Amino acid sequence: MPERTIAVASSVGLHARPASLFSQAAAKLGVPITLTSASGKSVNAASILGVLSLGIGHGEVVTISAEGDGADQALDSLTDLLNTDLDQA
Amino acid sequence: MAEEAEPALSSLLAGGSIHLTATATDREDAVRQTGRALLDAGAVDAGYIDAMLERERSVSTYVGEGIAIPHGTRAATDRVLRDAIVVLRFPEGVDWQGNDVRVCVGIAALGGGHIALLSRLARVLLEPEAASSLRAAATESQVYAILE
Repeated sequence: MPERTIAVASSVGLHARPASLFSQAAAKLGVPITLTSASGKSVNAASILGVLSLGIGHGEVVTISAEGDGADQALDSLTDLLNTDLDQA
Repeated sequence: MAEEAEPALSSLLAGGSIHLTATATDREDAVRQTGRALLDAGAVDAGYIDAMLERERSVSTYVGEGIAIPHGTRAATDRVLRDAIVVLRFPEGVDWQGNDVRVCVGIAALGGGHIALLSRLARVLLEPEAASSLRAAATESQVYAILE
């Protein structure tokens, strides 16, 4: 299954604003995306509550994975988001 | 895990921090009332309410399940006097950019504590039926029980 491993660039981590922007973007991709924390917990990336529940801080490494048509493009666009400081965006 | 040794989320609820029959004209009014409850709890100063409105205009704090979690911007961390949670229930609902919000859980956390507090709250709300129980809560003790 295609996956990407990224260190979260947002200076506050995947917290309110970055978490919302990330999960909104994930929900729009039309491909189910799984977000997994370094400690191995996985959630649906399109669920804001799920993303928030992981409590991911700045610089923490996460893995996103997806299956099916468009998985690679979807993961690439989310990788770009995670590489951006969404608190400033 | 160390987090199990942390006090229950309900211990962050000050007396008078649960409002079970609030009404709001719109989202901004609901956020303002949530901020006012944090102010009344002695958890923040008045500037935090403006920061909550700023955050809400920037990106909605709606998290699904009819629940929003209004809180201030990172720049307003110095407006926080202590960690706190307030719960406002809006039985008639508040239009939240097309979403129907029934409960606002306002939070304030000192320093970098917002992520941990949001994370703990999100884990509680992900529990099956926790969000629906909160939406339907008729007594303060029910709210305390959900946030145990």
